[in-house]
Amino acid sequence: MIQLSKNYSLPERQEGFIPIKIVSIGGAGLNALDRIVLDGLERADAVAINTDVQSLASSVAAHKVQLGRSVTRGLGAGGDPELGYQAAVESADEIREALADARMIFICAGLGGGTGSGAAPYVAQLAREAGSLVVAFATLPFAFEGKRRGAQAREALARFNEIANAVICFENDQIGDMVAPKAGIHQAFATADIMISQSVRSIVNLIQRPGLIRIGFDDLLAALRSRNGRCLFGFGESDSANRAHDALAQALKNPLMDRGRMLADAARVLVQVAGGPGMTLSEVEILMQELGRHVNEQTQILFGTAVDGRMGDRLSVTIISSLAADEDSIPEQIYPDQNSAPATPPVWGQSEDASPKVDGELGRTSVDGSQPAETIPIEEAATGETPLPSAPPVLNKSEPRLITQQTKPALTKEEKPPSEKNVQAKQEVLQFEPVTRGRFEKSEPTIVEGEDLDVPTYLRKNIKVK
Amino acid sequence: MASSNLMIGLEIGTSKICVVVGESRPDGAIKILGVGQTPSRGVRKGEIVDFETAMKCVHEAVVDAEQKSDVMIRSVYVAVAGSHLQSFNNRGCVMLPEDRDEIDEQDVEDVKISAREVSIPAQNAFLHSIIQHYHVEGQDGVLNPVGMLGQKLEADFHIIHGVRTRIQNTIRCVKELPLDVEDVVFGGLASAQVVLTQHQKDLGALVIDIGGGTSDYILYADGVVKQSGCLGVGGDHITNDISMGLRIPMARAEKLKIEEGSCVLGNCLPGETILLKDDSGFAGKEIERETLNTIIHLRLQENLELLKRRLEEEPFINYLGGGIFITGGCSLLNGIDHLAQEIFEMPAHVAHAQTASGLTSAVENPQFSTAIGLIKYAQAVQTDRPRRRFGRIFGKFFSGMR
Repeated sequence: MIQLSKNYSLPERQEGFIPIKIVSIGGAGLNALDRIVLDGLERADAVAINTDVQSLASSVAAHKVQLGRSVTRGLGAGGDPELGYQAAVESADEIREALADARMIFICAGLGGGTGSGAAPYVAQLAREAGSLVVAFATLPFAFEGKRRGAQAREALARFNEIANAVICFENDQIGDMVAPKAGIHQAFATADIMISQSVRSIVNLIQRPGLIRIGFDDLLAALRSRNGRCLFGFGESDSANRAHDALAQALKNPLMDRGRMLADAARVLVQVAGGPGMTLSEVEILMQELGRHVNEQTQILFGTAVDGRMGDRLSVTIISSLAADEDSIPEQIYPDQNSAPATPPVWGQSEDASPKVDGELGRTSVDGSQPAETIPIEEAATGETPLPSAPPVLNKSEPRLITQQTKPALTKEEKPPSEKNVQAKQEVLQFEPVTRGRFEKSEPTIVEGEDLDVPTYLRKNIKVK
Repeated sequence: MASSNLMIGLEIGTSKICVVVGESRPDGAIKILGVGQTPSRGVRKGEIVDFETAMKCVHEAVVDAEQKSDVMIRSVYVAVAGSHLQSFNNRGCVMLPEDRDEIDEQDVEDVKISAREVSIPAQNAFLHSIIQHYHVEGQDGVLNPVGMLGQKLEADFHIIHGVRTRIQNTIRCVKELPLDVEDVVFGGLASAQVVLTQHQKDLGALVIDIGGGTSDYILYADGVVKQSGCLGVGGDHITNDISMGLRIPMARAEKLKIEEGSCVLGNCLPGETILLKDDSGFAGKEIERETLNTIIHLRLQENLELLKRRLEEEPFINYLGGGIFITGGCSLLNGIDHLAQEIFEMPAHVAHAQTASGLTSAVENPQFSTAIGLIKYAQAVQTDRPRRRFGRIFGKFFSGMR
């Protein structure tokens, strides 16, 4: 007879997080990193990399790497990407050391300048060689910074697109629209920093937060998977009485989101709702219902939710998606230039492991033990990878804004499982117990302060009337 | 219109559509000549959801009013409601040209336009711009700046706006009959015209018009509108709650609410029941009175608390000398004034149209406050037109809709 010990419990969720490093390169990157660190960064290390010693010295990052001690001698790269690249090559060992032991590396860089455009793609390459997953956050310069910088930035972006697993790109011009015309230029740049900070932190949280319905890196890649696409990113947080609505409204207000209008065309949308223990099912429901109005019926919603004690009364919504520049974002197409590139981390190969986390009931999923680590199989990638070709900058794509690493031929047939799984995820979200609204069933809901007022008050307040 | 002193108010409500025919006397008094009404269908939460049906109902109500008042109805003032209506206060400012320092009517128009230069959602249109005060060259509290000297004219306006297409739907419904639409008026604003006297407006007063589908509110302080809005919850919700809570049909729930309902708790004998008769007259179901009252109480309490929270977003609620005036169909519910008094912690009264004569049965019924208020509004607009006491919009928005 099999005896189960009485105190048998489901495998404990390990407290260990995925080692994540946030690496900032160049002046703009350092500014963004300072913002990220000052805003409070948990569960990730910050690394600052620059050619300019002065700006490096003023950075608040714990770990700093100076590039090109002999090439630039502690000065900046002078807006010359070639110089930035050389400086990075010179300090390659130091960079490798700084990047070691991270499974995921977020690279923040302001493209257009010397260090940002020259060194950042090289750092990304080193990171990939070290076997990490690389997500790049890049800003494109303001139009007024000149065409030269714009061209350098696009060149660097094209390189990023080849190297990094995913690129999230912010156009400063777009961010500039967020800032009131009368606001100082400081504020305009600060807004860009805040945007990057928010997105980095929310993605770190997305991945590190133990979720009831967890979102893994595979989901993230799926949401961002569209060639030459445009990244849609929105983050909102609120602790008001009507926080579900407010947080969503804030997320949709993001300039990369165009008030949610863009979402209508997105093929996949990743949504994570996180809140303190006080987060209620109805809040999530209201939020998803509201979001549902902004997306197409065919859209796959990759839904995740997490409860984090540190959130307190706050509730945050992260929306990530991408729009294909071309007709469809079907990744089945094989791009010849990618065939020669080293294999992407075999994320999809393990997607079976990750799938249970969404196809069960809500309650079960939380204990499914699909550890974050399982979705990011660095081990294979680390050993199996040949060094990335340091290809010359390609400029054949007309202003690519977001490109995720393309699927390799060998992996294409494995595209299916995640997408099926995701469809299930969507259904599950919508299968919440329907609320009774009686006569107002078909009318537009009156939602005030996060409550659907069409539902009888006594039901919402849980007061027995009989 | 045949006679300029005949005015017709039309309210397309959620529970009923009513048409009030009124006459403006030379001394400024209003006499109600007749009231036509039909139960409303095709309207939810103050907005038309079934165009054809709603139109038929409006037609019936108009015919009814024509018969009762013996007046041919050609053009009407229409009340609108709906939770899409929003409001805010804004100050407009114009500088006079260097070579002129006497303020003329054009400047007053300009300052109103400048007050509207705020961003409202693209799909929204201005419904009212109600003047609060003018300021000439920093001098506050100017009532009529025309003819005064000064380089700088400022004006505070209370601006009410709503979704253009939804307002247009109401207008179209009337115009298809065909009737002319003289003006569209926010229902709460109309109600306040007859529920409040000028004195009460000066003291500061809050009017809550709880109708079938919406709760309109409008707050006066210093004689001018300071806050207004509309919550998409009304008597229908109470009926729906009763129907779901007691598992009885809507029609039965509505009747029960009107005949037996009260929002005061602990006012009935323990175990006291109401016997519901079924259609054939046989004893049907027994309902505990306390249960019924609890359902009503919870809903109304929540509704009033929501309004209170909205009103507390601005400080004016703390300066109400006149108290609260509840009107609209729901104000007939037993004990609603006590409940409001408890929640807002100030005197609350159930009020009906005060300043009209004629059909007393109509005037004294709070259900008709809005429709009668439309008459008063029309009178004010027509006699005060040169002064434009109430910002009337005939501008781009309105002419565009015709």
